[in-house]
Amino acid sequence: MTEELHREIGHDEYNPVGTLVLIALYFLVLLLLWLFVYFIEFLGRDLTVVGVVI
Amino acid sequence: MTTYIERFPAEARVIRSTFFTAFIALGIGALFGLLQVLHRTDVHRLVDSADYYHILTIHGVLLALTFTIFFLAGVFTWGLTTSLDRGVVDVRFTWAWYGLMVGGTALAAIPMFGGLIDGIDMSAGVLFTFYAPLQAHPLFYLGLALFIIGTWLAGADWIWTYLAWRRENPDERIPLPTFMVLTTTLFWYLSSLGVAIAVVVFLLPWSLGLLEQVNPLLTRTLFWYFGHPVVYFWLMPTYMLWYVLLPKVAGGKLFSDPLARVVFVLFLLLSTPTGIHHQYLDPGIAEGFKFIAMTNTMFLLLPSLLTAFTVVASVEHGARQRGGTGYLGWLGALPWRDPVFTGMALAGLMFAAAGFSGMVNAGMNINYLVHNTFWIVGHFHLTVGTAVALTFMAVTYWLLPQITGKPIWSRSVGLAQVVTWFVGMTLMSNAMHRGGLSGVPRRTAEPQYENFDFTPAFGTMAELDAGVVIGGSLLFLSAVLFLGNVFVSLTGGKDLTSIPENAYAEALSGAEDGPLILDNLKLWLVIAVLLVVLTYALPIGAIIDRGGLLGPGGSPYPLVVESGRAISIGLGEVVA
Amino acid sequence: MNIHAYEKLWLAASLVLIVLFIGSVTYGAVGAGIAMVDDAEGVIDPDALDEDDRFADPRVEEVGENEYEVYVVAGQFFFDPGTFEPIEVPEHSQVTFYVTSPDVIHSFSIPGTNANTMVIPGEVASMTVEVGDPQEYGIVCNEFCGGGHHDMEGEFHVVPEDEFTLEADE
Ligand code: HEM
Ligand SMILES: [Cu+2]
Ligand SMILES: [Cu+2]
Repeated sequence: MTEELHREIGHDEYNPVGTLVLIALYFLVLLLLWLFVYFIEFLGRDLTVVGVVI
Repeated sequence: MTTYIERFPAEARVIRSTFFTAFIALGIGALFGLLQVLHRTDVHRLVDSADYYHILTIHGVLLALTFTIFFLAGVFTWGLTTSLDRGVVDVRFTWAWYGLMVGGTALAAIPMFGGLIDGIDMSAGVLFTFYAPLQAHPLFYLGLALFIIGTWLAGADWIWTYLAWRRENPDERIPLPTFMVLTTTLFWYLSSLGVAIAVVVFLLPWSLGLLEQVNPLLTRTLFWYFGHPVVYFWLMPTYMLWYVLLPKVAGGKLFSDPLARVVFVLFLLLSTPTGIHHQYLDPGIAEGFKFIAMTNTMFLLLPSLLTAFTVVASVEHGARQRGGTGYLGWLGALPWRDPVFTGMALAGLMFAAAGFSGMVNAGMNINYLVHNTFWIVGHFHLTVGTAVALTFMAVTYWLLPQITGKPIWSRSVGLAQVVTWFVGMTLMSNAMHRGGLSGVPRRTAEPQYENFDFTPAFGTMAELDAGVVIGGSLLFLSAVLFLGNVFVSLTGGKDLTSIPENAYAEALSGAEDGPLILDNLKLWLVIAVLLVVLTYALPIGAIIDRGGLLGPGGSPYPLVVESGRAISIGLGEVVA
Repeated sequence: MNIHAYEKLWLAASLVLIVLFIGSVTYGAVGAGIAMVDDAEGVIDPDALDEDDRFADPRVEEVGENEYEVYVVAGQFFFDPGTFEPIEVPEHSQVTFYVTSPDVIHSFSIPGTNANTMVIPGEVASMTVEVGDPQEYGIVCNEFCGGGHHDMEGEFHVVPEDEFTLEADE
């Protein structure tokens, strides 16, 4: 494994920019899925349980 | 270069035993998983539908409790001794907790399997949640109690060993893996107390006839007091492996040691005061308590979201050190041919997907949509069934040589195995989630009803059933490949020279960058206890106040019930 | 302790997500008016349901204009009413279900809708829903309750106004 090591990257020279890209995508996916499942799948259905109006 | 077995031969022997016990449970559990998918979809029904629930009980207990906990006990023992560079204080004690855990499991297994065998009058067809008034044979509760005490002793062993190390090294920071073991152990003590009380104080005496009845809402609440944190008991060792081993096999370093500590402290604080999120739809619990559990649960997302960043950044560091470049091009520089890496990476990817269904599950009122549907089963096969299980299988390819001195028989088969699991789970879990959204219930032998049909929003039920069956079969195949690979490896000879050194990832930002207060475990424990008291004292008080400690009852099942209703003696006889 | 700028960004984004989730749930409760099944009902003796005027004779009852209450016993392995005869209510009305169990834990769930509650012996689950146009729904128990759990089903019919009659009026 270590044989393939091309270079040593230290703490100060490393910016996880790829991680930032991936996690931003993840954020978007979460956001859209949540909006879909909560507001369309859930709130869009019938027989929603409401507070008793007395 | 030293391997684990050279450095710690006595500990290696215990870890081998915990792993082998875990693998037996995995094998039986996977076989029963296959039976379940075939049964539910009516492809093939090997047992009576009434017996389906005995199968499901065994699947749930053996996989969620036996497989996971035996394996993690081994992983924690490895992580602790490796990072402290010190053996356990007394290995006889280590054997004692292992023995107690095995003994407890064996006792509980007698009625669990007894329910499947005609002529044996014992049963425990209560599923792994054992909600009263469903009643199991006393051996089931006794076994469970002994098993839990075994895990407590394991925790004591780790703490004891840590304290011995502390005396020898008064000024050093707690090494990260040990820190993770200790924080996990502490919240495990705090949370498993709930189930221990439910079992020892209420259910065991009740099953022995010493108590006439129990309060079903109370025992259920005590179960979930433990039932959510147990999820983190499985997940913390998984996270530990992602933090300390994954960066190493990826060729990099852990991005931040202090942040990893913050994450584990957050889990210690927040994993217990959330269990009521499993009871969003329970009558008898005020909406306010449910709302508090919901906000706590949402904040509990934070340590997992932070973990996602730190772990991916550590892997990216490996990729860049290996020559990877670009925004996403670095992904190609990762060691995808290594089953250890690929298995863990795919497990992490599935966990990201599980994050979404988990957020939905946490969302209080949206629970009306998904509660007890197949969606939930889809969710936790991504979490415990993949994030945890696939990580455990993948690291076996790294740890098994360490603890046996024998190389893995075939790394290519290993690679095929982890990929098969991923593909199978994608198919099965996707179909389960979608089925759940159309109302298909979980825990049901025959989800086909006389008077109505399910109508999935996309696709057809037949298509979803096919997803479940094909996915489940691939998963079973993957489990067989895994166990076969392990077995053949064990029949091979020792070859210490071909095994990498026993070590874990260094950190880019090390422990010395983190404030000392992070290591103040007493402080965190006190806060954790306070949070639990704050969130649970009122709901539990209210439940006892409403129904009484032992009331308002309900009828034990399956026992002889008086007049009027059906007299049922054994699960198997009830419905023909 | 130095946290990388990207990670701080992600921390902030995570908090935004969490606040969004809690906000949606709160909106659901306050804005959309969704109530949770809760402790509004008192406890009940599961062994003496026949002494309770709601559950001794489980039924549909008209309690106001377009308002109905349905008392359901969910037992091994039936809903009464529901299994032996469908629960019927007229279209466009407000219906409150009260469900309890004489034996073990069950659920009362109408698949494909948001009506779903646990049924715990000793407790009465109450759930109010507004029904729309005529439609036939199924009812399932989605909590394992014993060997015949998978047979526990029922029907809930929302019928046209002119086809609706209460049992008592028949
Ligand atoms: C061969 C792979 C597997 C297959 C085919 C499989 C299949 C299934 C199915 C179909 C169910 C739902 C049954 C029902 O609700 O009626 C189920 C439940 C469950 N599975 Fe798996 N599973 C597999 C592996 C796992 C693993 C690895 C774990 C955990 C480590 C796991 C944990 C569980 C648990 C906890 C339940 C819930 C039991 C209950 O509801 O009481 N499964 N499984
Ligand atoms: Cu939970
Ligand atoms: Cu049921």
